[in-house]
Amino acid sequence: MSPLKRAVVPIVIIHNIMALLTIRNLHASIGDKEILKGVDLEINRGEVHSIMGPNGNGKSTLAGVIAGNPKYTVTEGEVIYDGKNILEMPVDVRASEGIFLGFQYPVEIPGVSITNFMRTAVNEQRKYRGLNPLSGSEFLKLMEEKKKVVEMTTTLANRSVNEGFSGGEKKKNEIFQMAMLNPTLSILDETDSGLDIDALRIVASGVNQLRTPDNATIVITHYQRLLDYIVPDFVHILYEGRIVKTGDKELALKLEKEGYDWIRKEQES
Amino acid sequence: METMTEKLLELRQQLRKNEVWRDVDFSSMLTDDLRMPCEDESGKGMLHCEMPNLDAYRVVVENGYCREGLTRTPDGVVMGSLRSALKELPQLVEKTLNHCAADNAYSRLNADGWTDGAFVYVPAGCRVPKPIQLLSIHTAEAALLLQTRNVVVAEEGSHVSLIHCDDSTNQQGCFANNVTELALGRNATAELYKMQNLNDRTGLLNHTYVVMAEGAHLLSVGLTLNGGHIRNHCEVRMTGRHCETGVHGLYLNDRSQQVDNYVYVEHQQPECHSYELFKGILDDAARGTFNGHVLVEEGATKTEAYQTNKNILLTDKATIYTKPFLEIYNDDVKCSHGSTIGQIDEAAMFYMRSRGISERSARTLLLYAFCDEVVEKIAYAPLRERMTDIIKQRLHGELTVCSDCVLGCAKPCGCSDGEFEIDASKL
Repeated sequence: MSPLKRAVVPIVIIHNIMALLTIRNLHASIGDKEILKGVDLEINRGEVHSIMGPNGNGKSTLAGVIAGNPKYTVTEGEVIYDGKNILEMPVDVRASEGIFLGFQYPVEIPGVSITNFMRTAVNEQRKYRGLNPLSGSEFLKLMEEKKKVVEMTTTLANRSVNEGFSGGEKKKNEIFQMAMLNPTLSILDETDSGLDIDALRIVASGVNQLRTPDNATIVITHYQRLLDYIVPDFVHILYEGRIVKTGDKELALKLEKEGYDWIRKEQES
Repeated sequence: METMTEKLLELRQQLRKNEVWRDVDFSSMLTDDLRMPCEDESGKGMLHCEMPNLDAYRVVVENGYCREGLTRTPDGVVMGSLRSALKELPQLVEKTLNHCAADNAYSRLNADGWTDGAFVYVPAGCRVPKPIQLLSIHTAEAALLLQTRNVVVAEEGSHVSLIHCDDSTNQQGCFANNVTELALGRNATAELYKMQNLNDRTGLLNHTYVVMAEGAHLLSVGLTLNGGHIRNHCEVRMTGRHCETGVHGLYLNDRSQQVDNYVYVEHQQPECHSYELFKGILDDAARGTFNGHVLVEEGATKTEAYQTNKNILLTDKATIYTKPFLEIYNDDVKCSHGSTIGQIDEAAMFYMRSRGISERSARTLLLYAFCDEVVEKIAYAPLRERMTDIIKQRLHGELTVCSDCVLGCAKPCGCSDGEFEIDASKL
């Protein structure tokens, strides 16, 4: 009897077997007011997710909770990022783990130049990862390179963080910081608000340049227009503290045409 | 015979209802063991205030007495002991001595009892090439009651830069009632930098009286880093047209220290400008006062006067009393005054931390940024750089003194985690 031939089964190593971000039944509140009422969301590396929804329904809260804004209290649920429960992590540790929040309203910090601000951030993140700090010249080289991502002028980099910046400059500065910090998960909270058409194109192009198969982006927006530039893989509708609908970019087009009334009706029935 | 301590305590009683002197309560510093200094106590202490890269002439007043007599530079600048100057150049000294100081109870006390101090004379048209450092140091093993008097005369069109350091290198209690008089001739310019780093048991009443002739410019920047109770009492009188005065201050105090800044600026003639910017960070149960008074007289048209006081209180127990005040007797002026009291900006903290900056660094960066506005006023670059380092050191320890030498001057900034060392202006 000839021995049985054993079939050779190729072992496929699935690198990203785990989702980059898993949110389960997330509840969060400000003071006594519950804003998020059970959000479920899963995001994989390489994906772009867009979150849309009417004002005051929890989009910015969701972004803030993931980034760790102490303003919000998580009352239930979990947020697993890269296999780690991040709800216990301080804000700066989350950032060093690769989470970046592009602010809807970037904060002005008089007296702190963007250069010093970014050098501190880059080097503290490097320290967290066990890397040596960048020297002055290495840092300046990096900065020159990343400024091009958002067509930033030299004078902007020498000014105090966001102080006296126009709306467009502030948002460009957010994307510039994103480029400098090279995050794994970027959450862009209404990055398109307050932008003229040219600035919108520059900012969107910046985001697209930074896309890789290893990172993911959450784009929070009101307008379909941004999604013409940053094409999402998924569009979610956040309504009354929960994600009530998920679709592809067609969903955003439908919202643009029909508004949120139909969502409201669907939810009520 | 009534002792000095008793006199001072009695003064406190008399002046406690006087608006200007209300906050001056040194009674906890005025202990029974305070005594007057002896001349031979000078010259024994080590000099700790060796600021690197600071190329300056130096006049040292140690425990109330000047170390050396008079020095003359080839340009005709005279500097050294006031006592010697009074003997050797009486006419020069007497023109200014007691002529700039306002007549108040404390300055009178000093006028009657000063031991020694620094004298600086800059002849007309001379630009002193290096700054002159006036070092007042307390090194004695005993608790002393000091009264020094400094006189600076800058004649027409001259320029002088003074760095006045008040340091203690001991841990002894001490009380000093010091008076500095500055007479600025026509178009003379003077920079006066005051650094104060005294131990927690020391009280310092630091009077500065300036009289300016037409077109004179004064820039004064005071940095109060440590001290039991420090009062900077500054009075500037602009007696001619086109004078410009900038009086600025930064105070960083913690524990139960107290710091007072009183600034009085008198606009007597038209077209003078004055600027005041005082900023402070108070931690623990530290207490501070700012009392700014600008007087614009009737004929002083086209006056510009600006007064700002900003404070950060790091704890619930830290206290600041602030009173910017303008008194104006004509309507052709541009004046403003204001003050703020606040905490660290939480929104800015979150923003910085969301970029990966640790809480400690974010705090230091924000506090340093707050201080920077005053540090930038320092026109003399090597001093500005040095002060930047010292303030960073001070802030890194969350406002405690990080080295036992009070100024820590001999050491370069050793802060390894202050990774924000790039000066953007150099890019």
